[in-house]
Amino acid sequence: MYICFLLRNHSGRSFVILVVMTQTLSTSGKFKIPQVLFALVVLASFFLPWVNWDGNAITGYAMPAGDFFGTSEAKFGLANPFPQFSVAFYIFWLIPVFAVLIIGLVLVNKKAALLSFFAGALSLSLITVYILFTNTLIDLGVGKELTAMLKPAIYAQAVGAAGLILTAYPVKNIGSKIVWLLLGPLLAFGSYKMGESYIMNETHTATENVKADYTVAAPELIKEFLANDTATNKKYLDKTMVVNGNTSAVNVLSDSTSTIRFEDSTGSYIIFSLEKKELDKVKNIKTGDPVSLKGVCSGSIFSDILGTTSISFKRATFNK
Amino acid sequence: MKKSILFLSFLAITAGAMAQKVTTTSAVVTFDATTPKDALPKAENKAVIASLDKTTGAVAFEAAVNNFSFTNAMIQDHFNGDKWMNSAAFPKFTFTGTVDKIKKVNFKKDGTYKVDVKGNLTVKGISQPINAPATVTVKGGVISATSTFDIKLKDFGITGAPIDGGKVAEKPTITVSAQF
Repeated sequence: MYICFLLRNHSGRSFVILVVMTQTLSTSGKFKIPQVLFALVVLASFFLPWVNWDGNAITGYAMPAGDFFGTSEAKFGLANPFPQFSVAFYIFWLIPVFAVLIIGLVLVNKKAALLSFFAGALSLSLITVYILFTNTLIDLGVGKELTAMLKPAIYAQAVGAAGLILTAYPVKNIGSKIVWLLLGPLLAFGSYKMGESYIMNETHTATENVKADYTVAAPELIKEFLANDTATNKKYLDKTMVVNGNTSAVNVLSDSTSTIRFEDSTGSYIIFSLEKKELDKVKNIKTGDPVSLKGVCSGSIFSDILGTTSISFKRATFNK
Repeated sequence: MKKSILFLSFLAITAGAMAQKVTTTSAVVTFDATTPKDALPKAENKAVIASLDKTTGAVAFEAAVNNFSFTNAMIQDHFNGDKWMNSAAFPKFTFTGTVDKIKKVNFKKDGTYKVDVKGNLTVKGISQPINAPATVTVKGGVISATSTFDIKLKDFGITGAPIDGGKVAEKPTITVSAQF
């Protein structure tokens, strides 16, 4: 409010404010410069590259702007595992907004401690996520060493954020500052590890509970693959599909799993690897029987052994 | 006339030779790269194409990389990704080789035979020689063959921090089984 007022009015009232400023300066002067400097560092480095993933520079604002997971998905196939939370990432826009407010408030000698704490904690939590996620990418084979992938701006951001918290005025209690310093990284680390553990322990949803993306007739599907395997692989790969047709071969394996095949006149075929629990049903199927199967498409390969195209499906069940 | 006889004999010989080659589209290949630190990198493919020539001992396998099924969705994505198997560019693993001393296997009589298989395994476009013991079992006219061996990922140009960090085995165990 004071800032607006000061900008709009250069008459007697602004002079009054100026007097107030001068009075406060005597007590806050030693905090003023560091706060402004740290806020400037946080503001500037937020828009610079923090990490480099195989030649892809990722800035601090890439997270709220959506480029963080956008790049990770497009380049390395690692999408945001919790897309329902992506709206929450807008919160990180508060980092530059708070930095600007801190500079403004400190310059007019207003208390900005809470903003400094929040901006610092948000920034440190974002840094933590960047480091942890870069480590996850290293697990994927992107880059070899974390330190080589971190850019100077992430260090600058860390220094700026820690500085904002530690020099926040007028809080003198160092204990509370340390709590604010640790809050962001600890929360980010905890949430990240919880998310990671959830993903690592997650198993595929049982195919019968997944809604099919496509329902096709076996001969038509074979035709589609034979006509253009590149486009068809792209279209169906990893999609849950229902395929209807008359079986050409039923094969029960020694470990209680089984396969069912649909074949065309050229010998090209679709093969479903069925889940163990389907064994009893498979045993009742004879060659030539009409069946409806649901599975996850693994795409096609051309078999040099058979001289035909093989289209395979995994985790298959009977379609109810 | 002579030509016709020659042609017919050729056809008969070819047909005879073809009859010696058995194939399946339901061979199973498992891949176990688990370590004490990570139990997830483990998968199986139950729609592997395999052939065995009972006369020459020629053996071949083709496995669609994408059809390896992992319990964990993320590990499966990683496995198929550019940095690991790059299944988009290299859609299948292949093995071509021969069964040593195939003559000692009597396919007409029930029995179990220990043999050796030698050949080349191609992963991500890189071929490496493989030498592995195998067991061939004949029972009621059905031929079963199994073999277990290790491969060194580095030999196929597969390296990375997870291997160095002990999350993925340097030498995964491959198990192959086929019923003809």
